[in-house]
Amino acid sequence: METLIEETKISALATSLSGSFSNKIPDHFKNTAERATGLMSGLEFPSTRDEYWKYTRTAQISKVDWKFSDEIFNAEIPAHISGPKIVFVNGHLNSELSDLNANANFEIGPFHESNLDVEKEFEPYEDFRTNPFLALNKAMPQNGYVLRVSAKSNIENTIAVVNIYTGDKVISQPKNVVVLEKGSSAKIKEYHIHTKNSGKTFANTHSSFVVGRNAQLGIDILQYGSDESFHLQNADFLLDRDSRVVQNTFTQEGNWTRNNTNVRIQGENVNANLNGFYIPSGTEHIDNHTIIDHEKSNSESNELYRGVLLDKSVGVFNGKVFVRQDAQKTNAFQSNGNVLISDTATMNSKPELEIYADDVKCSHGSTTGQLNDEAIYYLQTRGVPKKLARKMLISAFAEDVLKHLVSEDIRGEIEEKIDTKLAK
Amino acid sequence: MLEVKNLRAKIEGKEILKGLSMKVNPGEVHAIMGPNGSGKSTLASVLAGNEDFEVSEGTVSYKGENLLEMEPDVRSHKGVFLAFQYPVEIPGVSNINFLKAAINERREAHGQEPITAKEFLKRVKEKASLVELDNKLTNRSVNEGFSGGEKKRNEIFQMAMLDPTLCILDETDSGLDIDALKIVANGVNQLRSKDRSFIIVTHYQRLLDYIVPDFVHVLYDGKIVKTGGKELALELEEKGYDWIKEEQNPVEA
Repeated sequence: METLIEETKISALATSLSGSFSNKIPDHFKNTAERATGLMSGLEFPSTRDEYWKYTRTAQISKVDWKFSDEIFNAEIPAHISGPKIVFVNGHLNSELSDLNANANFEIGPFHESNLDVEKEFEPYEDFRTNPFLALNKAMPQNGYVLRVSAKSNIENTIAVVNIYTGDKVISQPKNVVVLEKGSSAKIKEYHIHTKNSGKTFANTHSSFVVGRNAQLGIDILQYGSDESFHLQNADFLLDRDSRVVQNTFTQEGNWTRNNTNVRIQGENVNANLNGFYIPSGTEHIDNHTIIDHEKSNSESNELYRGVLLDKSVGVFNGKVFVRQDAQKTNAFQSNGNVLISDTATMNSKPELEIYADDVKCSHGSTTGQLNDEAIYYLQTRGVPKKLARKMLISAFAEDVLKHLVSEDIRGEIEEKIDTKLAK
Repeated sequence: MLEVKNLRAKIEGKEILKGLSMKVNPGEVHAIMGPNGSGKSTLASVLAGNEDFEVSEGTVSYKGENLLEMEPDVRSHKGVFLAFQYPVEIPGVSNINFLKAAINERREAHGQEPITAKEFLKRVKEKASLVELDNKLTNRSVNEGFSGGEKKRNEIFQMAMLDPTLCILDETDSGLDIDALKIVANGVNQLRSKDRSFIIVTHYQRLLDYIVPDFVHVLYDGKIVKTGGKELALELEEKGYDWIKEEQNPVEA
């Protein structure tokens, strides 16, 4: 039986999804979920008329009859992801594949079993109108990881989180919460893998990071989409004074990828670093949107996004930096560099600075160009074939981002992806 | 080793080489001199395989093969080396790593095993000392932040590492002070052998005080108009290029 749904309404999607939603919402989150459900009514799928979505269409998402899936088995974890990890499939914990145990220094577990409540702190920044998908995630949050690190604790080993999205017309909405108490530190690597040849998958994720005073967080994100995947990853950071954060996002592949990262610097002497590398090919679409909000003085932010675009791929970068009136002595640097390997690839890059303080150092730069032919020729005259010369230049370009890796052990798979994409 | 016959080449439709011929035998050092714009650097670029130049006529035979049909990297594998007038800076590509790759590509082309790390390092040490190139520079990104003199020394270092049979030096002396010039010349002289030939493109005779050529050719308006021994360079130094121009354009004179 076919039901008539208003395709453009997010709330219509929510209604049609409610039948397949089987996750249990933790008590502390129920109010948030209800509020999000309420605020969702009237919200439409964003269109390119919305500034925030100018270069990234969501129409393809709105046309699919999505459902949640309880299928958590038959999921395979790529062999190269070794060591302890917590695994989620379609927004459900897969405890058989997970082998990560908490200890005295930290707690880790699925969202639905946690009573860690951080929503209130993020509420002032919530903007469902700009990003209605966030309302959808909050209305029907599924299982992601919740990590809490005790004050002054330092987790030696990188915590691996694996998200697998599989099935056809399956939506997943993992909700993650990370709290680093003061003086603590942690390293995380997040995998997002859309199973190939399984059908259309849509991941609409949300992570809340609360980084306490003098705490240090490093996170590498690896995104492996499929030919039919839609990957929308939302992250919100609250940074207290003297904290340091590094987030590196590597978009390895995927039909449609959109990353929204928002960082609120709420204390002095914070060091915030957002880096990203993407190498789309075919008709892949990759969009990185960032907001860095300097609310307090004497902090520093660095953004470095690098892209190599092949075939008919499309890249988008929009980085917004706010320096509030109280944020004197802010240092904010932003750089987006792109290399177009084909004549048919497109890059849309838009850096934005809004400065309300007068004693600040801010810079942004955006470049999009081709590989340096002169350099290729030079290398060739030394006996390096053209293909290898190109690869050397692109590897050097990617290294600008790779040198910020939190976990060096993922370097190999990133370099390998560059190699295979260039070899085609 | 190299035979150039009636070579014509143009860039962006403009003909620069207009029927150049020359022959280089193993072990010989040939100097190419001439006024600015006569086509000296174009000759070097065409021999190295720069795609910006289009060869419209003539032949270049190298060790009996048609050089013009080869990609620049293949020419390198067969022993051609060009020391650039303006060496390119390549940020992020390490001098050492790229040279190792270059050597191994060449070895592969000759059916040889890759060079061992030990052998490679030994060679780096040996060849770097030839041009007094600092160890730190060999490990840095290619030419990035190098001074003019360091760049030229790096060119000769790379030349020594790649062990070519035909070395083309394109105005290697330009921008060098006398001390750097001596170091570069000394490096080149140590590489001279009965199997290795040099084409030295230069505007000034100065370099030829230190690298003594077997032949000096004067290139003018895309052609070699005069050939002599090393004394021709001295004559040019003394009299300048005007008398060549006058000889070539008697009506204007």
